[in-house]
Amino acid sequence: MEHKIKQIISKLDSPQISFADVRITFTDYESITFMNGNLRGYDSSKASPAIGIRVLIDGCFGFAGSKDLSDASIDKLIARAKSNATHGAKFQKEKLSFPALPATIGEYIHQPEIDPFQMSLEEKLDYFKKLAELIKPQAKIVNSHVAAEFERQEKYYANSEGSYSHTLVYNTLPLMGVVAADAGVIQSRTWPGHMSAGRAGFELFYRQQFMENTERIIKEATDLLSAPTITEEKADIIIGGGHLALQLHESIGHATEADRIFGQEISYAGKTFVKPSMLGSFKYGSDILNVYSDSTDPRGLGYHPLDDEGVPGKRVDIIKDGILVDQQTSRHIAHKLGLEPSSNMKASFADDIPLVRMSNLCIAPGLGSLKDLIADTEHGYLLDFTKTWSIDDNRNNFQFTTEIGYKIQDGKITSIVKEPTYYGITPEFWNACDRICGEEEWAYHSTFHCGKGEPGQVMRLSHGVAPARFKNINVSVKI
Amino acid sequence: MNEQLKYLHEALKGESGIKYQLHLHRWQTDFLRFYQSQTNYNISKDSITLSGSLYKDKKPYSFSIDSPDKAKIDTALKTALAMIDHMPEDPDFVDLEDDLSLAEPKDIPDNISGIPLGKKTEILTRLAKLADEHDFELYGTFICNLQSYHMINSNKLDKSGTQSPIYLEVKAVHRLSQVTVLETFGGEDFGYFDEENFAANLLDKIKAAKNPVVDVEPGEYEVILAPRCVAEFTQYLAYGMSAFSLDRNSSFFEGKVDTRVFPEIFSITDDPEDPELIHSDYGDGGHIYRPLKLIENGYFRAFMCGSYFHHKLGLPKNGNQGSCLSISPGSERLDTMISKVKKGLYISSLHYMNFINPKETSLTGLTRDGTFLIEDGKITKVVNNLRFTEKISRIFENIVDLEDSATSIPFSDNYADFSVRAIKAPHALIARFYISSSTRTI
Repeated sequence: MEHKIKQIISKLDSPQISFADVRITFTDYESITFMNGNLRGYDSSKASPAIGIRVLIDGCFGFAGSKDLSDASIDKLIARAKSNATHGAKFQKEKLSFPALPATIGEYIHQPEIDPFQMSLEEKLDYFKKLAELIKPQAKIVNSHVAAEFERQEKYYANSEGSYSHTLVYNTLPLMGVVAADAGVIQSRTWPGHMSAGRAGFELFYRQQFMENTERIIKEATDLLSAPTITEEKADIIIGGGHLALQLHESIGHATEADRIFGQEISYAGKTFVKPSMLGSFKYGSDILNVYSDSTDPRGLGYHPLDDEGVPGKRVDIIKDGILVDQQTSRHIAHKLGLEPSSNMKASFADDIPLVRMSNLCIAPGLGSLKDLIADTEHGYLLDFTKTWSIDDNRNNFQFTTEIGYKIQDGKITSIVKEPTYYGITPEFWNACDRICGEEEWAYHSTFHCGKGEPGQVMRLSHGVAPARFKNINVSVKI
Repeated sequence: MNEQLKYLHEALKGESGIKYQLHLHRWQTDFLRFYQSQTNYNISKDSITLSGSLYKDKKPYSFSIDSPDKAKIDTALKTALAMIDHMPEDPDFVDLEDDLSLAEPKDIPDNISGIPLGKKTEILTRLAKLADEHDFELYGTFICNLQSYHMINSNKLDKSGTQSPIYLEVKAVHRLSQVTVLETFGGEDFGYFDEENFAANLLDKIKAAKNPVVDVEPGEYEVILAPRCVAEFTQYLAYGMSAFSLDRNSSFFEGKVDTRVFPEIFSITDDPEDPELIHSDYGDGGHIYRPLKLIENGYFRAFMCGSYFHHKLGLPKNGNQGSCLSISPGSERLDTMISKVKKGLYISSLHYMNFINPKETSLTGLTRDGTFLIEDGKITKVVNNLRFTEKISRIFENIVDLEDSATSIPFSDNYADFSVRAIKAPHALIARFYISSSTRTI
């Protein structure tokens, strides 16, 4: 395939084209779903091909993608990409700037502990059947599901500057959940929550202790049916890692994607309250808040030796001691902002155009365990397991509901509350962060489903976080 | 019939005891995305996918093949047949779709070649010039898709069709205030696109967006919901009208068939025959798609149900999927509706809604792309975006008036192949709508 992709690059060698890149991906995919103890769906695809060709002509990008890798298709794609760029340039006021980069070569082959595509289907089904049996409808549990998605993606990238990379990665998305009902009321609990994916194979199910948590979610869903809601106007909240990853994702991650500054996402995902003038001075969060984008850490789904426009993977501080210091950028946007590109241009599959995307966006750990943090909290709530999320198109006004809240009184968890809902304004909220747990609580939480761009792309990415506390947060939303 | 589909079909015919549903899907898009009144990128994409769902007794196995050829089909089928005996049963599966009715043939234009990039940029250049005169720039997308499908099953179902949706979304954003307004066109027949009218509507909105910007306090407001908002709330409400949600114990409409749930003026039909919507010949599993009254004069009438849940839940089968929702217009003119509001809000569009509890229809979301203050029956100011936390059931229970005409609003489905559907809705006057917080930014 290396030969093929370099051959395509050579076909794009023309004075008319100032930059070109080509991606090819092959993706294996398998999904298994059990509902109420029974197999409800099994789906698989093997080595699904995709190719994308991007050319820069007269200061405008044109792109063409397909799942057909035949020579005839490739010739057609080259012609369409060139035509799209040429026509696009006619509706353009400002030619796109794209400073050159030196050639870089990269290779990464990931090997999971348990390869889900080598493991027998019977063995996988046997495990899920047992898990599904444990949480099937019983007492007040009226619905349950166990779901798994396995993905293996091999990717080739080459560009007209001589950069080339070849990667192979495995990603797994596991989830289980139950719904309890009584007298027309329903409540739900999932495990391990919203951001359950990982750069791993089948071992993720063991690592995340699915079997060990079936009784817990059944009990908690049932108890939530009669639990009270939060009554206070404001409260101190500790946010657990799984949900904090989403809070980070929505209110810092998307807000610091610099394509939004220029309105490139206005038509769909929105813009951002961040302005170029804020770099280096804007107090985004409290002094203990340090956020970085790190595509060099292979433990996260956002790892890559090169991004999808040839920028080597790197670790970049985005917020340093509470101050906004950088952005997630493409080569073009970094140049416009006078920054170095951050290696955040990524496409979900080869037939998708690369966009500014989060890779591994992380909050640096602080000190102490979650147990210590709870003990240090006189009155508040520990919130985790995302239920509802929403944020405005400037990434400023957010509101989240979690599946469950654990009430803390005098440093101890004393009871639970249902549908705890909090809201806030992004910088005010992050400035209210007064404690972040330490290394021992820090972990990656990952998703398969970050939507952005048109035509839509869903990106696999990770957030490294430890639980953190936020003071005096508005929890007064009544539903 | 496509050669690969035929090959797989022939291979399966010889397998006794296997029920199968095969689906060949071709998809193409030409996609222009623009920002700051210029090209962001142009994309052309295509794909061909062959998928198969097999059942042996009650044991399921599904696979899909991108860019299929005979070798890939042989491998996928060999694996499927080897594995299916080892699959656990789905006890709720009874049979695949057996409705063999065929839709009337239709002439569907190829809008990809019918509306080339040059034509798109020509229209946008004119609109950009208009917006520029008021210090606004254009952001948005102009998309044409061409998609065809062919499905076959072991019950002798053999159906095919084509769609070619168009989606034009233009957001005009003020250079300084960032106040945004939105105008859209969607459908399959570009003959319905009236460029002059589109430009005039956009210009009216741009002018309204030049009013002063204010904040409003959280609380209950009388609101006028634009057709896009009525359509979007209806889409979320329609989740509870699906047999799937009933099966998951999360339907608001459980136990409410033929019960009055909304005011008499409110009716929703899933209507694939409306020429202003994006037509759909076949629904769930290939069942013919016919108009279905979901809410009739305030009464909930039917769940949307395919073959699987028909057998499992005993509901009448209709195959409807809510792809062509149409909310009936009322009898009031929009200006009369606005004139009735002493102090309230006009909401143009919604953003990032998510259910808190689907059974209760509670959700949260925000306003977007033009929220306006109404004072003494007139639109007077622009309002910063607002968050609402509401129950859709409560919003529609509080409908006072519906506009005397309905508009077709396109929506894109962004999480798979980029698909486009349209919903028809009128403006609605809602007596009480709960704003839970203010955003303080446009």
